[in-house]
Amino acid sequence: MASNQASVKSTKLSVKNFKPKVRLPDAGKEEWWNQLREAVRAIHNRCPISYNREDLHKAVGHMCTHSLSPRLYNELKIQCEEYTKASLHQLIDDFMDEMAYLIKLNSLWKDHCNQMIMIRGIYLTLDRTYVMQNPLVLSLWDMGLELFRKFIVSEQTVEKKTIDGLLSLISRERNGETINKSLIKSLLRMLSELQMYQYHFENKFLQVTESLYATEGQNFSQSLEIPDYLSFVDKRIKEESERCLHYLEHSTKKPLLTSVEKQLIEYRKEMIINKGKTELLDTNRLDKLKLMYSLLARVNGGLDELCKRFSLYIQERGTSMVMDTERDKTMVTELLDFKSKLDSVIELSFDHNPKFINTEKDSFETFINRRTNKPAELIAKYIDMKLRAGNKEATDEELDKILDKIMVMFRFIQGKDVFEAFYKKDLAKRLLVGRSASVDAEMSMLLKLKQECGAGFTSKLEGMFKDIEHSKELMPHYKQYLNNQKIGHNLDMTVNVLMTSNWPTYHPMDVILPEYMISYQKHFQQFYLSKHSGRKLQWISTLGHCVVAANFPLGKKDIVVSLLQTLVLLQFNKEDEISFLDLKQRTGIDDADMRRTLQSLACGKVRVLHKKPKGKEVEDNDVFAYVSDFKHKQFHIKINQVQMKETLEENINTTERVFQDRQYQIDAAIVRIMKTRKTLSHALLVTAVYEQLKFPIKPSDLKKRIESLIERDYMERDEDDAYQYHYVA
Amino acid sequence: MEKSSTSKSSKPAPKEESLFTIKKWNAVALWSWDVTCDTCAICKLLLVDACMKCQNEIKTEDCVVVWGECNHSFHRCCIASWLNKSNRCPLCQREWIVQRIGR
Repeated sequence: MASNQASVKSTKLSVKNFKPKVRLPDAGKEEWWNQLREAVRAIHNRCPISYNREDLHKAVGHMCTHSLSPRLYNELKIQCEEYTKASLHQLIDDFMDEMAYLIKLNSLWKDHCNQMIMIRGIYLTLDRTYVMQNPLVLSLWDMGLELFRKFIVSEQTVEKKTIDGLLSLISRERNGETINKSLIKSLLRMLSELQMYQYHFENKFLQVTESLYATEGQNFSQSLEIPDYLSFVDKRIKEESERCLHYLEHSTKKPLLTSVEKQLIEYRKEMIINKGKTELLDTNRLDKLKLMYSLLARVNGGLDELCKRFSLYIQERGTSMVMDTERDKTMVTELLDFKSKLDSVIELSFDHNPKFINTEKDSFETFINRRTNKPAELIAKYIDMKLRAGNKEATDEELDKILDKIMVMFRFIQGKDVFEAFYKKDLAKRLLVGRSASVDAEMSMLLKLKQECGAGFTSKLEGMFKDIEHSKELMPHYKQYLNNQKIGHNLDMTVNVLMTSNWPTYHPMDVILPEYMISYQKHFQQFYLSKHSGRKLQWISTLGHCVVAANFPLGKKDIVVSLLQTLVLLQFNKEDEISFLDLKQRTGIDDADMRRTLQSLACGKVRVLHKKPKGKEVEDNDVFAYVSDFKHKQFHIKINQVQMKETLEENINTTERVFQDRQYQIDAAIVRIMKTRKTLSHALLVTAVYEQLKFPIKPSDLKKRIESLIERDYMERDEDDAYQYHYVA
Repeated sequence: MEKSSTSKSSKPAPKEESLFTIKKWNAVALWSWDVTCDTCAICKLLLVDACMKCQNEIKTEDCVVVWGECNHSFHRCCIASWLNKSNRCPLCQREWIVQRIGR
C-alpha cells in the first residue's frame, strides 16, 4: 500500500540538480583579505581608506556566503587586539597629571568608538549573519568593548588612575570648583558601556561620599547654627541631585541621595531637632521650619521624631504658661497666641500634616490640664471680659471669631464643670447689672457651648436668660399694680426674679432697709405671689443696685451704686460723721462687705466719703464723713464695687461647689451604670464611669464614692469576690 | 439780680432736701417653692430642680410642684405616676387631695 502511494506521488516530484557552487577565485580571495586588512589598519591609523567602501562591504558579504565567516571574524579580532594592546602604552608611558590623563583616556575611548563604528560598517554582513547565528560569539561592537576593557581599562594602573581621577574631580566640584562636566560624563558613560560602572566606580564613589558626609555631618552639625546647617544640608542635597542629572548614571541617584540623607540628616536628626526646634519655634522662622520638615521627611522616622519633639515643645512652653501663677492674668491671651502661632507653623511649614495637627491637640490637652481648674476658670473669665459691655475693641463678627478661638481652648479642658461654674457666675453678673455687651453675642456663645457639650450643659444657663426675660415682662404689670395701690413714696423699683436652681448660690444677708423700701418689697411680694402660687421669695441684697440722686452743695449728681453702698450713703442724710462700727450696726451689713463698701466709697477713684484717718484699708476705729465739696465733671457717676477680695472668696466657694457637685455626678454615674448592668467587676465599673464623666477624677476618690454607695445600700459587694459589685434595687 | 441769686442759694436748707435719695432701685429676688421639705420624696431630687424625667427631656420649665392636703409636696410628674398605683400620699398614707399647684 505504502509503496503504491509513494509511486503515485513520485510522478509529481521533479528532481533538480545542485546548483553549481560559485567558487571564489583564489587570487581574488587573497586580494580581498589584503584589502580588508588594509582598510582596518587605515582606520586604526586614522588614514583615509584607499578602497571603495562598497567593494569592501561586498567582499565581506561574499566571504560570509562562502563560509569564511569564522576566519574573517578571528582575523579581525586579532588585528583589533593587537592595535588595542599597542595603544595602551600611550597611557602607561607618560607621566601625566590627572587631568591630562583623563583627557587622554577619553580621547582614546572616543577614537575607539569611532573606529569600531567604521569597522562595523564594513563588516556589517558578518555582524548580521555569523554573529547572529552563533549566540556565543560577541557582536563586533561588543568585541571591541571587550578588547578595550581587557587591554586598557582593566590594566590595574589605568583603572586605578581613572577611578581616582574621577573621584578627585568630583570632590573638587564638591569643594566649589568648576570642572569639566562633559569629560566626566563621557568617561562615566565609558565605564558603564564597559560594564565597569557599578562595580568599579559606583561602589567606591558611594563609599567616598559616605565618608565625606559623615565627617561633614559631624563637623558642621557641631559648628554651625541649626538654621545654617539646614540650609547647608539642603544645598548639598540639591548639588548631589544635580550631579545625578549632569553626569552620574540614573541608577546611582537613589543610593547616593540615601547616603547623603543618612549621613547628614538621619544620624543627626535628634541633634537637629533637639537643638533647633525650640529656637526656631520661638523665633517663628517658618521658612527654616519648612526646610527642616522637608529634610526630615526624606529620612526614615524623621517626621516621627519631629512630631515627638513638637509635642514636647508645646507641652514645655504650654506648661510654663499654665503653671506660672504670676502669668495668670495673661494666660488665656498667651495661650490663644501660642495656638495660632502653632497653627500657622503647621499650615505653612508642616504641610498641613494631620499627624501634627493631632499632636498639637493632644499636647494642648495634656498641658492645659496639668493645672486643675485654673485654666478653666481663666477661660471663663476671658469670655466674660469679651462679652461685657464697654468692650469696644471688636465688632460682632470679630467677637464671634474670638469666641470660636476660645472654644477651641475650651475643648481641651477636662474639667468642663469648673468652667461652667465660673461662666455662670460671670453671666449672672452681666445679666443682673445689665452689662452684657450684646444679646446676640451671648446667644451665639450659648449656642457654641450647647453644640460642644449638649443641651444638658446649657439648660441652666438658658434658664438664666429666661428668668431675666420673664422679669422684664413682669415689670409693666407690677407698675400697674403699684399705681392701684397708691403708695406715697415715689420710687422706681424694678425686680429680677430668678429661679434659685438656675443661678449660682448667693448667701443672703439681712440688711436693715428704710421703711419705705421694705414696704415696696412687701408690695412686690404680694403682687408676685398673687401671680405665682406656692412660691416664696428671698431678697438678695448683695445683688441689688440703685441710682441715687445726690444733692451735693456744689451741684446735683446721679450716682449709680450697689444697694449696700446706697444703704451706707443714706446714713449720711441724718448725720455728717459716722464711725465704722455705727455704720455697721445701722445697716446690718456684715463686716467684710462693710469694709469693701466703705473702701469703694472712700478710697476709690470717685470719693463721696472722707475717711479719717486716711489710708487704703478700713479699720474699726475709722470715722466717715461725706465730701461736702464734691465735684465731678459728669452728671452720671458710677462707683464700682471693690472686687478683689470678693473674687478670692467667691473663687474658693465656686471651686468647692464644683467639687461637691462632682460627687453627686459620680454617684449618679455609678448608680446609672450598676442599674443597667446589675453585676459588675470593679475594673469594668471604673472604666465605665470614666467614660461617662466630663471631668478628671482620682481613682481613690472614685473608690470612696463606691464605698459610700455601698454604705447607703445602693449596691453591695459579692460575698466571695470583694471586687464584684451587685446592684441593690 | 444779686439779691435773687443769694436768696436762691440760701433758700434750700442743707437738711431740708435730703442729701441722698434713691431714684431707682433694681432689686434681685430668688424664688423657690414654698415647701417644708426641699426634696421630692419620690425622686429624691431637690424640688427647685426639675424631676429626673424632665431633666432628661430638658423641659425643666414645665416641672412644677404640687402640694397635698397633708402639706407634703412632690414634683407633679412624680406624684402623677405614683397615683397610678395608689391614691395615698407616699409619706403619710393619708388620702391624696391636691391642695394647690405651683405656678
